Amino acid sequence: MNLIAIAILAPLVAAVLILLLRRAPAALSLLGTVIGLIASIGLLTNAFAGVAGALTLPGLPDMPLLLVATPLTALLSTLVAVVCIFVMIYAVGYMKKDDEKVRFSATLLLFAAAMQTLVLAGDWILLLAAWELIGLSSYLLIGFWYRRPGVTSAATRAFMVTRSADLGLYIAVFILIATTGSSDIATTLNMGGSAAIVAGLLLLVAAMGKSAQTPLHDWLQRAMAGPTPVSALLHSATLVAAGAILLIRTAPMLPAETLLVIGIVGGITTVVTGLIALGENDLKRLLAASTSSQYGLMLLAVGAGVPLAALLHLIAHAAIKSALFLGAGVFQHSRDGTTFGKLEGAGRDQPRIFFGFALAALALAGIPPLSGFFSKDAIIAASLASSDAWLLASFALAGTLLTGAYMARALSILWHGDRQKRSIPGLGWMGAGLAGLVTLAVILGAFFPSIETLLRASLAEDENTLAQILGLSAALSGLALGWFISGERLLGPLLPWSQRGFAVAGGMDNLLVRPAFAIARRCEKLERSLYTGVLAVGRLGLNIGRGARFGDERGIDGLIFALVRGTINLGNRARTLQSGLIHREMAITVVGAALIFAILFIPLLFF
Amino acid sequence: MSIELLLALITGAALFGVGIYGALSQTNLVMIMMGVELILAGAMVNLLAFWRYLHPDNPAGQMFVLIIMTVMAIEMAVGFGVAIARFRAKGSVEMEEATELKG
Repeated sequence: MNLIAIAILAPLVAAVLILLLRRAPAALSLLGTVIGLIASIGLLTNAFAGVAGALTLPGLPDMPLLLVATPLTALLSTLVAVVCIFVMIYAVGYMKKDDEKVRFSATLLLFAAAMQTLVLAGDWILLLAAWELIGLSSYLLIGFWYRRPGVTSAATRAFMVTRSADLGLYIAVFILIATTGSSDIATTLNMGGSAAIVAGLLLLVAAMGKSAQTPLHDWLQRAMAGPTPVSALLHSATLVAAGAILLIRTAPMLPAETLLVIGIVGGITTVVTGLIALGENDLKRLLAASTSSQYGLMLLAVGAGVPLAALLHLIAHAAIKSALFLGAGVFQHSRDGTTFGKLEGAGRDQPRIFFGFALAALALAGIPPLSGFFSKDAIIAASLASSDAWLLASFALAGTLLTGAYMARALSILWHGDRQKRSIPGLGWMGAGLAGLVTLAVILGAFFPSIETLLRASLAEDENTLAQILGLSAALSGLALGWFISGERLLGPLLPWSQRGFAVAGGMDNLLVRPAFAIARRCEKLERSLYTGVLAVGRLGLNIGRGARFGDERGIDGLIFALVRGTINLGNRARTLQSGLIHREMAITVVGAALIFAILFIPLLFF
Repeated sequence: MSIELLLALITGAALFGVGIYGALSQTNLVMIMMGVELILAGAMVNLLAFWRYLHPDNPAGQMFVLIIMTVMAIEMAVGFGVAIARFRAKGSVEMEEATELKG
């Protein structure tokens, strides 16, 4: 059987089995992800050997559904599978006390399968389907604790925002297929001209929605209402990554104008969401804002014309961010919450977990020799080498500085405070998942050269020293600022703005959501009036029918039945005469004869 | 009217009354038929009396009585046939029990 099919079907089959059997969700989900991981690794080793896998399924006429395992897609598939397996291991411990493990595991596996399809998709139609599927399953996962207040609204918001942005993808795909006449992604990448600019911008809109870029970043922080493993999975290698993956895969097609827009959007996002993270009062929301910020950096790298740098940062960030979320989940269990007020000193409760968390945080900030250093360095080098170096490089450096500052802020709050010793159920499983991801976050940098050879691309080496010096100094100064000065003081007058998410959410609400709601209400009113009209017609018909039935029943049927009833009554009366008793009948005869006699003869007596 | 005629008519009426009483009071089919015979006998006595004392020259009266006697014999044959058949089938000729033909 094809390895691609196994990579996708293993989690899916496991999900179906869990739903059918309704037992052993942990073991089945681990089994499904492990088989998927093995298949993905098989695809990757094939790709290293130069063998590209492909799977063609019957689809629309002239547009078969393609699944391809090029070096890039095989690499991404492996990344997804690796993060999935660690998150699954962690989830075994995290969900130990939850009653709905079956639903949780099944949805998580569905999500994993959808993500594998998205990553491995070789044509736009399948990619669209997978894109929708991850949107749906992320909605289910974010709304997993739907009974808690605010969770459903967070899930709905995430779904609506990404869904609205998805319209961009639909139109873009339509343009691409209409222009090139093929739904194969590889074929469409060769197109150019004005259609490519428009399609590229629309793809950017879709990516902005999924990757939570400014001004659509608000849903991601609200999505923290879901369970922590979900956040870890969504934010690292899957849902949010889908936007960046889309742009990385289509990068060869994008013309310079579109690239510049992408770079600016990414740059603005990395700064704005970095500032939001600095002013955040909740660990998970801080990490969510940081995710937006890091994806901003990736878009910036794509915009600078080096999608490889974006890919490397995506890989490093996947391991780092899921490790950070897993650590945050442990702290959440130990203090029953994720606000910084509750978490003060939580790092001292679990020093080993804190050590892993801190390693991941330093990796994200870009401290050598951790993986984040290499990828961030590549992004800064790419921005310096681009044609708009001053703009993109300043965004990139500001983003790096802010990354260091908010990560140091989180570490400082976690470390300074009182200890509270408390036992956490399932800590072993959670620790195992965390340890695996932290190890990846630390050592991944060593694999970057082999990834470069795999993709037959290399990073620009010219200004690498300058980039390293600039990046490292920005990261270190950011860390120092964040550790020694509180985030509130760092932000200064920007603090209220940052805590309100730079009013972007409110602006979106007022500009887009209110009119949308108004239209929806109008439509509802119209529909209601139509509905009452239809109902009135129906009621009229019903009444006519009822009248006809009345006439039928009372008029015609009544007459006939009255006749029948009369006949039956007459028969019954007549039957009582026919007693069959000879004496009675004889007596009646005698009496009758006497009566006849009397009638005939009594008049004779008188006249 | 001669006294003989009156006596004959009284005899006929008495026979008729006894016959009606017997037919109504008895439950046995055979007895009921005997009552019916008496009724007919009463009627025949009346007829013969009127013929003998009022129109002895007209033979129609005699003919009437002969025909009635024939009919009586046939009726007896049929009635007893029914009674025997019923007795064989049901083991009794009690008419209170014979309600099978009740409508």
